[in-house]
Amino acid sequence: MGNSIEKYLDQMRRELSGSDPATVKDALADAEEYLRNGVDQLLKNMPKLNKVDALDRVIEEYGTAAEVAAAYKEIETRIVPPFAPPEEANGRSSGARFFGVFVDPKAYASLFYMFFSLATGIFYFVWVTTGLSLSAGLIVLIIGLPFFALFLLSVRGIALVEGRIVEALLGVRMPRRPLFSKKHLGAWGRFVALFTDSRSWFAIVYMFVQLPLGILYFSFFTTMVSLGLAGIAHPVIQYGFGLPFGHFGHTAYYIPLWLTPLVVLVGVLWILITMHLAKFVGRLHGTFAKAMLVRE
Amino acid sequence: MRRISRTHVDPLTKGGKVLNDTSAANKKFQKELNSGTVALVLLCVLGRASEPMYGYQIAKHVGTRYKNLPMMKLGALYPVLRSLENAGLLASQVEPSVAGPPRRYYTITNAGRETLRRWIDIWNQTKSFVDNTLEGMGNG
Repeated sequence: MGNSIEKYLDQMRRELSGSDPATVKDALADAEEYLRNGVDQLLKNMPKLNKVDALDRVIEEYGTAAEVAAAYKEIETRIVPPFAPPEEANGRSSGARFFGVFVDPKAYASLFYMFFSLATGIFYFVWVTTGLSLSAGLIVLIIGLPFFALFLLSVRGIALVEGRIVEALLGVRMPRRPLFSKKHLGAWGRFVALFTDSRSWFAIVYMFVQLPLGILYFSFFTTMVSLGLAGIAHPVIQYGFGLPFGHFGHTAYYIPLWLTPLVVLVGVLWILITMHLAKFVGRLHGTFAKAMLVRE
Repeated sequence: MRRISRTHVDPLTKGGKVLNDTSAANKKFQKELNSGTVALVLLCVLGRASEPMYGYQIAKHVGTRYKNLPMMKLGALYPVLRSLENAGLLASQVEPSVAGPPRRYYTITNAGRETLRRWIDIWNQTKSFVDNTLEGMGNG
């Protein structure tokens, strides 16, 4: 019997290939739970039933791998992260893909995240350094532990918010994780659970790292976007305002007229490349955030 | 130019062709109805539950209480549970079970209760609207 449940799960995995790994994981866990419980229950009620038949009956209730996989896929398309547009089909030519980034909301969202991450990075860093050092300093006082507990709670709250931001702007699915995995915990039990949960500590590390990352993202993409825009605006700047391309020492350099179209073209390409880079870095950062904030 | 290929071809809307297979039309109608009502039913079951319930329990509860579940497999309940959780209407926690795979216990959140109240209102309005219309048709 174990074999055929395995077979069912394998089939499901195949049906869901290409879906978000989180969805696949959910679907497999759900199916396994139902099938095992169902077969156990059925065999308990009808001991004479053969195991393979029992599984067949349970699958009859639950639905075939294809049917159930279709239900997950449908839900997945409905719960794509808010604001994040569905993934465009890969069927377009490479040229269309390259230039299409100009109308790709995802690229703009990623770029926005790159700028925004400086602000969140500063905030997270300040919050975590203040929280940790205050907690350490107050630990000898009676309010020390409650303060530390509040701080840890706030970290988890911020991690959840950052998860929403990453989901909305970078389009990486960030499943919600329950704060406490056991119910009926007292205040002390909750504190211990928070303290020993690796997710709290990974969230703190993430909040630290977000500052250097934010600085890096912000300065890199500001530079890239400015360079690109400067290229595009070059004719206006040189012929409209009479400003030179650059000053080196006491010499002002102007670009000859015949080169102007080329400079504009390079500016446009530069922006295109920047947006592709933003998308790429956004994906990387999303993966990183997923690994740090919503670990299994 | 390559064209975008879609894996799912909708039998009803494909090329605006008139559908001659009524069973497919019925299926689609039922599916569209279910996509909202199943969420309401699950939210309601968990709203009434006195303690957290896990997926199998919920499915069995729904499956046995309401015989001939309208043309759907119990497996279709699970993704709805997941999406309700994603929307913050349900919360879940995984606990190991004595035998078998760990179980995911679902509870309704406060937002879920609030939503359930509103959904019940919406459902009642929809129901009476549809009922009135259908009755009107029967009499006329």
